[in-house]
Amino acid sequence: MSFITPYFTLPKFTYYKPDSISEALSLLKQHNGKARVLAGGVMLVNMMKERIALPEYVIDLKGIRELKGINVTESGVEIGSTVTASELQQSDIIKKFCQPLAKAASYMGDKILQNSVTIGGNISIGMPSTDGLPALMSMGALLEVRSADSARMLPSSDLVVNIGRTNLRSDEMITKIIVPNAAESRGTYVKFLNASEIAIATVAVSLMLVQKKLRIVVGAISAKPYYFDESSIGWRWDENIKENIKTVADAIGSNLKPISDAVAGSEYRREVSKILVARALKELFGGT
Amino acid sequence: MRTIAITVNGISREVTIEENELLLNVLRDKLGVTSVKAACWRGECGLCTVLLNGLPVKSCMTLAVEAEGKEVVTAEGLYTDERARKLQESFVEHGAMQCGFCTPAFVVTSHYVLSKNPEIDGDDLKKELSGVICRCGTYYQIYDAVMDARKHYRDKNI
Ligand code: FES
Ligand code: FES
Repeated sequence: MSFITPYFTLPKFTYYKPDSISEALSLLKQHNGKARVLAGGVMLVNMMKERIALPEYVIDLKGIRELKGINVTESGVEIGSTVTASELQQSDIIKKFCQPLAKAASYMGDKILQNSVTIGGNISIGMPSTDGLPALMSMGALLEVRSADSARMLPSSDLVVNIGRTNLRSDEMITKIIVPNAAESRGTYVKFLNASEIAIATVAVSLMLVQKKLRIVVGAISAKPYYFDESSIGWRWDENIKENIKTVADAIGSNLKPISDAVAGSEYRREVSKILVARALKELFGGT
Repeated sequence: MRTIAITVNGISREVTIEENELLLNVLRDKLGVTSVKAACWRGECGLCTVLLNGLPVKSCMTLAVEAEGKEVVTAEGLYTDERARKLQESFVEHGAMQCGFCTPAFVVTSHYVLSKNPEIDGDDLKKELSGVICRCGTYYQIYDAVMDARKHYRDKNI
């Protein structure tokens, strides 16, 4: 069996498998612009098959232990960027403190791919289909972004600029995800797929139990997810939420400008988004 | 070019590969493990599923170098496992195949699923198996075969 068409083969590259973050970062710096990091490979390997990505150097992050952990620290829950979708779903910490993320992870590809898909890879390609990003944004997550010479904290809501474009420089990578005050939050994630499993809309909701702050993120309907909190929807969380679910959903719906394409029209995406917002709120607070 | 060591179905093998070769191609073309099939080459059909260090992965999405020093198990390698043999018999009894092209991947995947949780059923089981596609549409029979084989995975004497 030998296929010669590009689809079945990968372009030539040099492969590195560093075992520390600093080694990976110095390789990224040395080959700046010509190297790509490989985590689960689900996006990168396909992009290379289709010759959309043609890195001369591939830096495999799977040998780096520091990128693997899920820990509760003083700053919140810290998640290494190469933690897989399966690991997220199995983790007691994530199930307890990061409910939107645990649920979003169950949508990242099928059950087999979930053993490969990583949270870092899922968000850093900058595709609207990401499940991880809306979940992280609803939880107010911060991304630790490092290069060989710098380190910064990037709010997850500032990651994506446009389809396929992010605020990461070519010598940078996401090393860690930090969910602040995770212990005081509660949330969920709902998604609507069409028959061929293309996301029409996704909705992530998180509520900070202590300060009673509600955050709602609508994803998959535009280049980057829409983020709403109390100031943007002009509505405060109160015990009467059950009666106000429709009002909130309508307020959010009127603020969306979904794309129109062959999969669905803009108005349809807006209606679906409203229904999903209502569904997510009902799941969290009950009511009709 | 580099030579890597991989344990394939319990046997340590050394194989010379290019860094841009897929695990799928190396298994089939260089190591002769032909139960690993391919149809889509892009992670969708699941026919190329193998166990890599015990976890199901799609070998068309995995570089062969990534498997260096690791253990690969395919349908051939399940022959030494009594429970997996019974699972395969269950596929036959239930007629859980038409052309059979997807069978190795379903056997490998359901072996993993049942080893993890022999009580699984209903939608959970369907979801677990959803990463593999059967173009002949024998899903009902596959579901029945796996449900029926659960008893062997519960049996502590095997
Ligand atoms: S050939 Fe690997 S998933 Fe289809
Ligand atoms: S039996 Fe033909 S693909 Fe499943």
